[in-house]
Amino acid sequence: MKKPIRMVRASLILATILVWQGGQAAEKPTKDAAPKAAPKAASNATANAAKAFDAVSKELYPKAKQEGNLIIYSVWDVEHLRGVTDAFMKRYPGIKATYWQGRNPEIVTRVLTELQGAQSSVDVILSDNAPPVIRAAGGIMPYDTVQRDVLVLHDPTLPTVSLQIQALSYNTKKIKPADLPKSWEDVANPKFKGQVALDDPMRAGPLSSMLAGLSEQWKDEARFNNFVKGLKALNVPVHKSTSAMFRLVISGEYAICMPALLHDVFEEKGKGTPVDYIKTVPPVVFPRQAGIYAKAPHPNAAKLFAEWAISTEGQQVIDSVGRESSRNDFKSKTSIESAFPKGTKPVPVTDKLFLEDPKKWLDTNVKPIWEG
Amino acid sequence: MIASVIAGAAIITPIIIVLLKSLTTGKLGASVGLTVANYLRVFGDRDILPLLNNSILYAAGSAVLGTGLGGVLAWIVARTNTPGKALVELMPLYPILMPPIMKNIAWILLLAPKSGILNNMLRDFFGVEGQIFNAFSMAGMVWVFGLACVPLGYLFLLPVFLSFDPSLEESAYIAGSRPVHTTFRITFPLAVPAFLSALVLNFLRGLRSFETPVLQGTPGNINVFVSRVYDSMALEFNTGLATAYSVVLVVMSVITLFFYIRATRFSERYATITGKGYKVKVLDIGPWKYVTFLAVFVYFLVGIAIPFVVLIVVSMIPYFDYETFMTFPSNMVLYNYYKVMKHPSFITGLYNSLVLSIVIALSTVLAGIVMAFTIYRTKTYGAKVFEFIGTLPLAFPPLVLSVGLVIVFLGTPLYNSLWALGIGLFVAYFPYAFRNASGSIVNIHKELDEAAWVHGAKWRHVFFKITLPILKPSVGGALFYIFIEAIRNVDVAVLLTSPGHEYGPVTLFEYFRVGQWAEAAAGGVIYLLILIVAVSIAKFAFNLKFSL
Repeated sequence: MKKPIRMVRASLILATILVWQGGQAAEKPTKDAAPKAAPKAASNATANAAKAFDAVSKELYPKAKQEGNLIIYSVWDVEHLRGVTDAFMKRYPGIKATYWQGRNPEIVTRVLTELQGAQSSVDVILSDNAPPVIRAAGGIMPYDTVQRDVLVLHDPTLPTVSLQIQALSYNTKKIKPADLPKSWEDVANPKFKGQVALDDPMRAGPLSSMLAGLSEQWKDEARFNNFVKGLKALNVPVHKSTSAMFRLVISGEYAICMPALLHDVFEEKGKGTPVDYIKTVPPVVFPRQAGIYAKAPHPNAAKLFAEWAISTEGQQVIDSVGRESSRNDFKSKTSIESAFPKGTKPVPVTDKLFLEDPKKWLDTNVKPIWEG
Repeated sequence: MIASVIAGAAIITPIIIVLLKSLTTGKLGASVGLTVANYLRVFGDRDILPLLNNSILYAAGSAVLGTGLGGVLAWIVARTNTPGKALVELMPLYPILMPPIMKNIAWILLLAPKSGILNNMLRDFFGVEGQIFNAFSMAGMVWVFGLACVPLGYLFLLPVFLSFDPSLEESAYIAGSRPVHTTFRITFPLAVPAFLSALVLNFLRGLRSFETPVLQGTPGNINVFVSRVYDSMALEFNTGLATAYSVVLVVMSVITLFFYIRATRFSERYATITGKGYKVKVLDIGPWKYVTFLAVFVYFLVGIAIPFVVLIVVSMIPYFDYETFMTFPSNMVLYNYYKVMKHPSFITGLYNSLVLSIVIALSTVLAGIVMAFTIYRTKTYGAKVFEFIGTLPLAFPPLVLSVGLVIVFLGTPLYNSLWALGIGLFVAYFPYAFRNASGSIVNIHKELDEAAWVHGAKWRHVFFKITLPILKPSVGGALFYIFIEAIRNVDVAVLLTSPGHEYGPVTLFEYFRVGQWAEAAAGGVIYLLILIVAVSIAKFAFNLKFSL
């Protein structure tokens, strides 16, 4: 029984399509940039996606309404979840959406324990690291969104509803613009010793996903080894909590945050906090997905939620709570074409092994260099 | 005996499940047969000894600092004529109210090498360059966690100092001993069982504590053993391996308990409450009473006042750095409080945590006394096994323990209910109630029971008419302590909360985990103010004593 499932899963993963819509007209980021209409170049895809969403919405809503409930497990802030679920319930009366919030390890532990116990207690796993790991254990019901053509990162089994965008951030009081690193690699320059707050590369966190992305993009073992060795040679402490690390950069304990999440930087900048990010360093992007649980008690409500979250309407809500859009035709202050210069090529994290078994990937690719 | 068996079963079931997990190689989601592969990995880990070394240093340092300081405070409050009695009694209690994670945040902001308030103040006001204080050092970790250990030491030892048989000390005075000698040679040795109980508990708490090592240890390259347990869960999602690592902690706990039991095996030696009647003698320590007042006040300052002020300021400034901190109050903002009050789960979470914490405090304390009575006061066959079972949950990192509980509840109506959370908290806090009751029962001489037995009393008469009334002082302390601990619990509760069943501290912790320290500080301040008001009302309006 397990073998066919694995084969189906493997073929689905192999069929993962990465759609990059570069070269769109970029606009300078403005402080209060509001979501705008799709650019003309992508209008066809946008129109098709809108039609497809209308159709699937009409098909799923009556069934979802009959199910009556939607249960979400998520790593997102409760305020964000509340904003998103309230908007969903307003759009689709008769479906009651509830949520439970935890960290990725807690979500994975809980879902897989429930899976082993044949418990049907969740519909959607809304997170970054958790859905691929749960999928690898057979806990995801594959679902391919009908709006796939407008996504920046598309996975045919896990609908991508938002992106985690990593930026190279710094404390504006602690380092002058002229002294800033020019690239991710430049952070490993010995002159930054003592100034860098470094995420632990041996945990499933932002730095390890960045390493997975860069390794895949460079396809240059020597370059990758030098980079990891350079980071190690900085001889700076590593942090297991990205949020605590970012706080220490804001407080002035460190000058450079390796790395920070773009939505955090924007939120802090909005408060007047002395942090900014280096726009010329390409961002690392990681999918935030709405995975549908294999034993979801309300599968139609789960699919409807995933589709709605990807729709322009859902993306506006996601943007309004401060999360990045997953669509290439949706512009906001945190979208790549707004936040970075025209022509910026982001670094996607799509390594299959890293997504499904980060420990194995790190043991193979990073540990020998980091601990060697 | 039946009550002890029920409590023991509630505790041992998730633990057996956790231990069985350690004998499966399978990651979550995959079922395989039994194997010892996880243990081979654990004992093949070349970092295991340095990590254990750091863990022992950190846990032992914090336990000695916290329990020792708690004991001294208890002695000052109970046995000296320190002025301002009402205030002195309350000052050591308030620091318990502050959630541990808030203390970590406050002390990091105070002691961080470059951005810390104290190092910057030393530079600005005294011209001291360099980094005198370092939150990210072993000393910084021991300081912060040691302060968190003080309340347990204080609450365990206060009832002992308040219930001494004065004839023991009077004999020493008659023999010509001076008060200082009497204190060190009579008073303190008699408090040994309670001291060891608190020391053991604080040591075990230190071994499995995670927040301080992660927040203060990791940035200083100081890693402890429990981080391996969490890495196994967070990186590999491998509960089998995590529980195998936890078993090392269990072995260490058993060794610790073994030494504790050996040290207190002649428990009658330590009995301070006998059948002769007693009235506590308060020592006149002359002008030293001002020094003892100052000592309590200094603890009050470092234990709560200073970190609380830091948190208040942090919750009211746009962001934290030294300059912004020093500009307060001209840059005061209140939006963090507005955000917290608008939080979807704040009020319901607060209500649930208040109700559950009261229930948990009452049930654990009662069950703890019953189990301790069964062990020390009855001749039930095999009763000593409960001593081990009753303390066992302390050996497990909370996340591992809660996985065991989730598995126990899966498929039952209890899953995803407040009941599951309640039982989880019961299992987590039972050891505190049990060890507290054990330390106190050991202090009551058996002659009181024996007098009742001789007159034909049944066990229930002895328990309800003799033991329970004499235990009143420690019952108050244990109720208070467990209520406060339960109302702040995050790590056990996090997997047992469910959609629609929020728990206050978990809600508060969300702010911290997503990096919103100012909002976390605002929530912490609101929480703390509610608890301070509740404790003060209990103390003054209802004359509820946490010690006597």
